[in-house]
This record gives sequence, C-alpha cells and structure tokens, in this order.
Amino acid sequence: MSIRVFDPTAEDAAATRIGAVRLPSLEGRTIGLLDNSKFHVRELLDHVEEILRTQYGVAEVLRWRKPDASRPAPPAVLADMQRCEAMISAVGD
Amino acid sequence: MTLPRQTLRSAAYDLADALDVNEFYQHKGWTDGLPIMPPTEDHIVECLQAVGLAPGDIVGVEWVRQRPITAEKVAINAVMAGCLPGYMPVIVAILRAMCQEPFNMHGSTVSTGGSAPFIVVNGPIRTAIGMNATHNVLANGNRANATIGRAIRLVLINVLGCIPGQLDRSTLGHPGKYAFCIAEDEEDSPWTPLAQERGVPAGMSGITVMAGESPRQLLNEWTHDPEEILETFAAEMRHNMLTYSVWAGNYALLIPKQLRELIVAAGWHKHDIREYIYRAARVLRGDWATVGKANIVHRRGGPNQEFTALRSPDDLLVVAAGGPAGGFGVVIPPWLGSKAQAITQAIEVHTT
Repeated sequence: MSIRVFDPTAEDAAATRIGAVRLPSLEGRTIGLLDNSKFHVRELLDHVEEILRTQYGVAEVLRWRKPDASRPAPPAVLADMQRCEAMISAVGD
Repeated sequence: MTLPRQTLRSAAYDLADALDVNEFYQHKGWTDGLPIMPPTEDHIVECLQAVGLAPGDIVGVEWVRQRPITAEKVAINAVMAGCLPGYMPVIVAILRAMCQEPFNMHGSTVSTGGSAPFIVVNGPIRTAIGMNATHNVLANGNRANATIGRAIRLVLINVLGCIPGQLDRSTLGHPGKYAFCIAEDEEDSPWTPLAQERGVPAGMSGITVMAGESPRQLLNEWTHDPEEILETFAAEMRHNMLTYSVWAGNYALLIPKQLRELIVAAGWHKHDIREYIYRAARVLRGDWATVGKANIVHRRGGPNQEFTALRSPDDLLVVAAGGPAGGFGVVIPPWLGSKAQAITQAIEVHTT
C-alpha cells in the first residue's frame, strides 16, 4: 500500500523558455548594460564598462536605464536593446 | 465520496506513507520548512471542485516573468498547506488580486525589503469557514487564517520560485511570510467592512491584499479622546517613515475592540480616521537627524521638505480586528510606498 502525491512546482516553466545563444567571445562585440536606477549603479557599470573594453576587447558598450528598480524596463527600452548582442542587467544598491 | 475523474498533469510520486511524503517534499525544498499534508488526487480534486475549476485553468499570470498559475498547482499547494476545500474561493481571489499589475507581485515578493502579502477577508465566507477576527488575530490558533496564508506562501515558493536566496532576496523577511491572513470583525463593529469600502457589494465576500512589512504594535490606555488614540497610531507611522521607509502608500491599521469602542462612541467612522491620519502622519526631512540619518537631511528639498505617509486618505486601510481587552493597536506599513498597491477582489462562490 502506498500513497500517490503530486508535484507542487511549475515543472514546465523552465522547459518552455529557451535561453539566448551564448557568445563564444566578447571580442569585437556590442554589449548592453542596464542600469536599475538604484544608488551607485552608475559607478558599478562604469567599472564594468572599463573591464569589458580593456580586458575583453568589447567593441561598443551601449547603456540603458530603467526608471524603476522593481519593475521591468519599459517597452521602448526593451526594443532598443535589440541593437546589442548581449546584455548585462546590473542590480546596484 | 465518488469523484468525477479529472486528469491531473503534475508528476506523480508513489511513496510509503504521509511521513515519507513529508520527508520527500522537505528534501525537494517544496515547503516553507514546516511539515506538509500529502497532496493526494482526491484532496486536489475536491479543492478544484470547490471553485469549479479544471486542472489546467489559469488562476492568474505573474506578469513580469509571464508565469501562469494553474488551478491544479494552487490546489496542490492548498492541500499541502492544510487547507479544506471550502477555503479555495478565498485563495483563488487572493491570487487573482496579486496578479493584478499594481500589486507588483514580482517586485514585492523578491525584494530585499522582505514583505509578505497581508490579507483581510470580509463578508459571509469568513464565518462559513470559521475564520478568526478576534483574540490573537495576527497569530496562531485558527486553521483557516493559518492555512490560507500559508497556501499563498507555498504558491509563491513552488509555482513562482520565491525561494530564499534564489528569487526571494529578502534580507530579513518577517514572521508574516509563513501566514499573514485575518478576517475583519464585522459582527462587533458598526463600521463599513473594508472590502465594501473598496467596491465589493454589500453581502458579498471579498479580500484585500497589500505587500506588508512586519506589524508594529502600539498601546494607549490613558485617554478616551479619539484624536489622542489616533495620534498614537500616527506616531507609529511617523516612526516607520523615519526608521524604515518614507515613501507614501497603503498602510493598514488594526483597531481592536477596546480602542475601537472609544472611537465609535465619539461618533467617528473609518473615513474620519483616514482624514485624521492623513493630516497627522507626516514628517520633515530634518526629522531624520533624530534617528541617525543626518546625512540625508540636506538632500533634495532640504530639512523642511514634508513627506506624508499616505498619498491621500484613501490609502489607509482601517480594519476592525483583535481581541476584546487591551488598549493595543497595530500599524502594518507598506513594503515600499506605492510601488505595490493594495488590491481588493470579490470572492466568487461556486455553486454546484
């Protein structure tokens, strides 16, 4: 005699999402940085931008800012992000 | 009881007994840390029937990460929490409210600020399912209060991934994250019930949910003057504005019988309370110097810049609840001002 029970989690959530294709290298690429408008995020991203340019040979760094840390970036910002090949979303605080 | 067969889509596990089920679920991280009840097919189906939903029906979608919450997953988590099927209409209404965009469910449940959905139930369903609105109302002792609140937490953990250290980034959290659900004491109060004030027709049941920080208890047994009583509530709100967060939004006040009767005797209604608190719960930027935050006194508007706790009197949720004795009250502050807004939702009672 056994007891049959059921999985409480969103089992199929991961399966329905396909991750973006990873870049083999950052060399010569255009990378986006998203500022969440919290304190000190600008300084953090300035530092990240410098590392990307000097240590990884990134060709161009594009910067965006979302006005509210606890909500998604506005549609116009999301649409404009198509100009970069990879994004770094920073959580400054 | 014979149940019509409904096809559950979730993965099934055959385990030896209820103790094994608990150990398995604990090991998987599928609980809040406390033991769970085994979610068996019969119990899950009874919960679905109580709300007239099919397993695949969508109760709501968390809009930031576009995660659907199916009725089947809600029922499984409700059974695990220890709910009876009769609690399901309340749980479904709460989740529908939390999925509305202004509640900002993603932001408020994953933030370092560590809030919990604070739920107030109004209307006939409170008494039908035996909810508590009096002694020890914010704490232990009542199955419906405890397990409805817990079911919401288990849905957040299991369906939306609000696992501490993963999606849930709370620095501290607070005990309300286990369960934070009360009924309003409508029988012992002449005031309009909260859900009715916020649009649910009289005679219908409804829930109100806000992203609440931990309750701040106060005491004033040394006056019969409603303004003096409410000044103690306003002072607690001002203190929260200075020591925690200054941003204006929904605050909840719980006013138990002893203080409530004094306010009622003076002829005050909930709207009088809201007007008084709106005027009184204000601080100046310069006040931050008194709580160790002198460094921000001279920013932006300078020391005389005024902040209100409420954007308007309507931001205040006044709730009649608590045991009969003691001049206590409670202020429940918002997670982060108006970034998450209180939502009131009518409860649909399913008739078979």
